[in-house]
Amino acid sequence: MYFVCFFLKDNCREDGRGCEDYRHMEIETNVVSNTSGSARVRLANTDILVGVKAELGAPAPEKPDKGRLEFFVDCSANATPEFEGRGGEELATEISGMLNRAYDCPACLDLQKLCVIPNQQCWVLYIDILLLECGGNLFDAASIAVKAALYNTKIPTVTVSRDEGIMELEISDDPYDVQKIEVKLAPCIVTLSKIGHSHVVDASQKEESCCLARLMMGVTQNGTITALKKEGSGSLDPTSVEDMIEVGTGKRVGEALNKSLTTALEEEERQGTKSKTLGFLR
Amino acid sequence: MLTTKTFIKKTKKGGILKIVREHYLRDDITCGSEICEKCDNKSARPLQENPVNKSDVCKSPHYLIPDTNVVLHQIDVLEDSAIQNVIILQTVLDEVRHRSAPGYKRLKDALYNPDKHFYTFYTYVERQPGETANDRNDRAIREGVKWYHNHLSSKKMSVVLVTNDAENKRKASEEGLNVFTIHEYVKSLRDSSSLVDRLAQSGQNVSYRDKVEFPEHLSLSVIQKGIKSGKYVQGSYMASRENYLEAYVSVHDGDKMIFIQGHMNLNRAIHSDIVAVEMLPEDEWSCPSSLVLEEKEEKVDEENIEMEDEKVKKRKIPKELQQPTGRIVGIIKRNWRQYCGIIRPSTTRHLVIPAERRIPRIRIETRQAADLASQRIVVAIDSWPRNSRYPNGHFVKKLGTIGDKETENEVLLLEHDVPHSNFSEAVLSCLPKLPWVITEEDMKHRQDLRHIDVCSVDPPGCTDIDDALHCRELENGNLERIDMVPELLSSNLCSLRCDVDRFAFSTLWEMTHDAEVVKVWFTKSVIFSRASLTYAEAQMRIDDKSMNDNITKSLRHLNKLAKILKRNRISNGETNSMVEEFMLLANVYTAKKTLEEFPDCAMLRRHPSPPPSNFDPLIKAAESKGFKMDVSCGKALADSLEKAVIPADPYFNTMLRIMATRCMMQAVYSDIIVHRLLAVCIGADASYPSLTDKHKTQTLCNNLNYRHKMAQYAGRASVNLHTHNALQILIPKYGLEGTLRVHRHVVKQYSPVFHRVIVQISIDQSNVQHLKLSIKLVEPVIPGFSVAPAKKEEEEDGPPRKKVKT
Repeated sequence: MYFVCFFLKDNCREDGRGCEDYRHMEIETNVVSNTSGSARVRLANTDILVGVKAELGAPAPEKPDKGRLEFFVDCSANATPEFEGRGGEELATEISGMLNRAYDCPACLDLQKLCVIPNQQCWVLYIDILLLECGGNLFDAASIAVKAALYNTKIPTVTVSRDEGIMELEISDDPYDVQKIEVKLAPCIVTLSKIGHSHVVDASQKEESCCLARLMMGVTQNGTITALKKEGSGSLDPTSVEDMIEVGTGKRVGEALNKSLTTALEEEERQGTKSKTLGFLR
Repeated sequence: MLTTKTFIKKTKKGGILKIVREHYLRDDITCGSEICEKCDNKSARPLQENPVNKSDVCKSPHYLIPDTNVVLHQIDVLEDSAIQNVIILQTVLDEVRHRSAPGYKRLKDALYNPDKHFYTFYTYVERQPGETANDRNDRAIREGVKWYHNHLSSKKMSVVLVTNDAENKRKASEEGLNVFTIHEYVKSLRDSSSLVDRLAQSGQNVSYRDKVEFPEHLSLSVIQKGIKSGKYVQGSYMASRENYLEAYVSVHDGDKMIFIQGHMNLNRAIHSDIVAVEMLPEDEWSCPSSLVLEEKEEKVDEENIEMEDEKVKKRKIPKELQQPTGRIVGIIKRNWRQYCGIIRPSTTRHLVIPAERRIPRIRIETRQAADLASQRIVVAIDSWPRNSRYPNGHFVKKLGTIGDKETENEVLLLEHDVPHSNFSEAVLSCLPKLPWVITEEDMKHRQDLRHIDVCSVDPPGCTDIDDALHCRELENGNLERIDMVPELLSSNLCSLRCDVDRFAFSTLWEMTHDAEVVKVWFTKSVIFSRASLTYAEAQMRIDDKSMNDNITKSLRHLNKLAKILKRNRISNGETNSMVEEFMLLANVYTAKKTLEEFPDCAMLRRHPSPPPSNFDPLIKAAESKGFKMDVSCGKALADSLEKAVIPADPYFNTMLRIMATRCMMQAVYSDIIVHRLLAVCIGADASYPSLTDKHKTQTLCNNLNYRHKMAQYAGRASVNLHTHNALQILIPKYGLEGTLRVHRHVVKQYSPVFHRVIVQISIDQSNVQHLKLSIKLVEPVIPGFSVAPAKKEEEEDGPPRKKVKT
């Protein structure tokens, strides 16, 4: 504890990073063939797999012209023995709750595009997040993996034909005839942990254990904050919060993170099927 | 190598599913050519080193690779012995399986036939963005051709792609492949005239002088939507046997019938197709013209079809006769088969008149028309364009000369869907090799009954002797009688012929002299029949007091027992001689045993109680002669029948009995299944799972019922019955039954039920395909209707007795 805090003063963390540096990250999309979209993110030791399944369902009564997102987090007992039984449930609710809040913003995803027949049918995206290994900063990693999986999601093109008042859905028989989701403005979660007097991003497990208070925010590529949440037993004074969000780190880190993620995803797509998928499930 | 196949499917509930199937690709499949040295030479190589080559367009030795449409439409050509060394790509095989089950079966048969030198190969290509499934398949086929081309080029062996698809052909020739249409290829073959006839007509861009334009058929997706919304109904199309301009569509397996009338409304549907029907408004409803029956022979030629249509429209239909009427908007599934017929030659395109009246005439192109004119031929339908009055088809094969007994027999069998083709290799291999001997193995499970004097009694000329009987006196004074049925399938092996060892299934009874059963048991056995007798021979033996050999004694015992049994049964209330009696007994005991062991799946031939309305004609007929029929139960009916005797007219009773039998419905049973169940009961055979499966048994029964019905139709077709406004005439001398058409007023003034009449019979040869028995009334004389007696000498023979009923 002392060790971690001591070095932080000089903008140097236990593994040699600066306060605003993320650890090395690996992203791979289209890893599970029977999903509509999938991604796997490995952030140091944190390993997360996300699968998106698009299914037809009824829209929410209060938003009849919009599609829905359903987050579900599964904390596998493989990740840590603590998750055994119902041990991971609380954390799972926390993560899915935070993602729900971060995505609950009209600017970040055009849910109207997911509507097929208003009041009757819309696409429901079931987003399943599987924690495979815990190495700190689960929220950020999960949100990155979700965004990558949504980027990879392909929804079959559905045409609606109206025949004497009866709506008939038809799907194209061409497997390449699909719709993609615009995720440019989808938020990533940036967690700032207060350790000593410094605010650090992407806290490792060790750092997380030294942290008394942290602030999580959903940030989009253009700097919009879509959600905020404070966690931990310690307190944060208002100036500190403002510093974390506006002046300081949060927004800037979030924008940069989103941009580099988009670049990476586009690069991967450009390589297409030529690049051999590596490492996972192969 | 592992790949995946991904596709999106819509579920019945409306959900959309992405389905991913793993697809394992092999890289060790050989090319199958004898000439190849690159591939593993241990596997089968059906493609010959020096294929016979008669083609002028491709002079080098070559193999053929047809595309899917060529296989689907030109299977008759591919099946010809002139076409050998063909590579069927898996892509083609899969597509054929999807699109036509009979086509797939025929292709499979060709693949399994070693003389055809057919081979299956697989090339895999992934579907590309923007490519339709068909384009992908075409590309896969071209890839296959290219692979063979490169693979065999060093051996100077070519491959020829056969496709009628212009785009595919163009692409293939751009890629430097040998490609021809099937027409180009077949026409280039030397001495191929018979093969050219078999080519299916492409049917496009041909104008006909028919001046018809049928309404367009709706596409399948439109039909499906319409059916869902209730706008259209789906049903199977059943053309009328009497009138080719009328048909019924049976909806929901016959719950409901929709009447269809007129050329345009029938809209190119052919008997047994699955069609989509749109109902007509009620004021346009119609009724079959046969309700006011007139003899309508096919006098109506193509020239006056319009007139016919007009006539149909103009006729005013009384409201009470109207039936729900509709029109056909689309075809869901064609159920075309091959049809027998005779050709009516004209200059280029010839019309084939099918033997089955329900099938329209088929237009074919052939160069051997003059040859075929005297033949019964088989044709297949290929298409029915909108602007053609008749469907287009092609010649398949000759059956033989018109009128030839063998040929006509085959026509009857074909037309009634009685499978009569040779059994497949697989079936034949199950049968024991001839000459057939009994092995030690066989004897282990069987009781040797060869020492017993068994004989069979059947009608004269019977080839499949299926019951053998025996009866002997036991030491304790009781009688033991045995009844046997053969175990194997028909003729030779199965026939319980005399003086040879045969496997049988035996039922053994121990009975008292009063025909009371003391003991019964079942066994598999080996028997040795001493004699195959006809009914008459058996009767003579029984009657001839000088004969006292074992067989005769046995027959006498049997006869005595049978009489007792029959008496008992009639008193129990059933209407129905020696063999029959014992077979019934065997059936009853078998049924008891199987029912005990397999309550779920035992089968029994049974005659269900017929609905009382079925007996109406019988009651009416009997009343006209002053007898009353009691049809409340089997026994009552039997008694009434027993009493209804006119001493002066011995045939009256027989006729009544015939009628009574007709009134009762036929049900069907299966000897084979009962035998197998019984075998399981006595532990002689290992049961196979499907035998005891209730549903399977049901399906089997349905099939049996269908076959039985069709067989009956086939039998009846040779007699050719019509029932409207006509008299049913039974001619006991010839065992014939025929129809005498009369006018209504004749029936009114002269109600002739069960009267003796004199008729003149001849064969009506006006229609070669449907020879009919022509009956003309001689006596009683009705002016303007009856005819003068034909020849005197016939009367000297004594006029045959004839009865009229109905």
